[in-house]
Amino acid sequence: MTEIFSTLFGQSEAQGPQGPGTLGFAPGKPPPLPQTQAPAPPQIPAQPGDEGPAARKPGVMNEPFYLLRELPAGNDLTGNTNLITHYNLEHAYNKFCGKKVKEKLSNFLPELPGMIDCPGVQDGSSLRSLIEKPPVCGNSFSPLTGALLTGFRLHTGPLPEQYRLMHIQPPKKKSKHKHRHHRPQDPIPPAETPSDTDPKKKKKKRDDDPERKKKKKDKKKKKNRHSPDHPGITGSQPNSNSLR
Amino acid sequence: MAEKFDNLEEHLEKFIENIRQMGIIVSDFQPSSQTGLNQKLNFMITGLQDVEKCRQQLNDIHVPLEAFEYIDQGRNPQLYTKECLERALAKNEQVKGKIDTMTKFKSLLITELGKVFPEEMAKYKAIHGDDPPS
Repeated sequence: MTEIFSTLFGQSEAQGPQGPGTLGFAPGKPPPLPQTQAPAPPQIPAQPGDEGPAARKPGVMNEPFYLLRELPAGNDLTGNTNLITHYNLEHAYNKFCGKKVKEKLSNFLPELPGMIDCPGVQDGSSLRSLIEKPPVCGNSFSPLTGALLTGFRLHTGPLPEQYRLMHIQPPKKKSKHKHRHHRPQDPIPPAETPSDTDPKKKKKKRDDDPERKKKKKDKKKKKNRHSPDHPGITGSQPNSNSLR
Repeated sequence: MAEKFDNLEEHLEKFIENIRQMGIIVSDFQPSSQTGLNQKLNFMITGLQDVEKCRQQLNDIHVPLEAFEYIDQGRNPQLYTKECLERALAKNEQVKGKIDTMTKFKSLLITELGKVFPEEMAKYKAIHGDDPPS
């Protein structure tokens, strides 16, 4: 390894004095140009927009600065400019960064039904899984014929409990009044019975945590089913029949 | 450009509403609801056809995958836009700071070199001329 160094930089040692700490690097002063040789080629390439050949003459003018290079062409757009102003994004910046943006997805899509604030990984509804594993389907959508529709014959009665929560919307904090008839088709669970209008249950519904409300609704359902005084309205809600 | 988004949005809203009504029918199914359910199923298919027709108008629209991460986490995708803008501004300020610092360093270096090597710096300025302020 040392032999390679000596062969590479041996000529430099013979040519001129070595400065301190050179360790094989080129000497500080350039080697004197022999008179027989042609002048060194211009080290500064000519660039468009140059001031002129007089200021950029190679060799003689740049003699003490043999490593002098042309300054790079100045770009108009650098980090020195406020890029948000440059690209007319002030309005967008004030809109998104000036005001507080709400965290939940339901604030962005308030009309979307279902529990959309939960992570998509939990119920397999993530967009990432859709991209990574796109569903295998045909090229076109064709309407279902009578034979195909026979596969959609359902059993009568309510859904099992494990599937009921999928379409229940989280309680909206803005509407303090009970405007549940805004969407009369919503399958409100048996909690819609007249017994829910008691003031005690009204106070319970002021809880901020939606999960607690669901658990309480589930408990109410179970209680209402098992109570002998319950009129047994579980399968015949007036609201659910409004679509027919 | 907003029209094609409005068109798609309208189709999606109808589709979602149709799905929601199907969920209501299914949640407490009755035999008399079968006809309505079949109708809703075919509405769903026509809705998908309408959405697919909108796809051709939106071929040039690109959505960053990072925005999908926010949606999958149940977060507002506008937060992604907000964070992009904040990061861009922070980086802009950082680069501006570097440029300002390098400019000051350059002028300071030229001044000090002029004191130590006046002749060489005079030659340098003759070659480079007065450097324009960056």
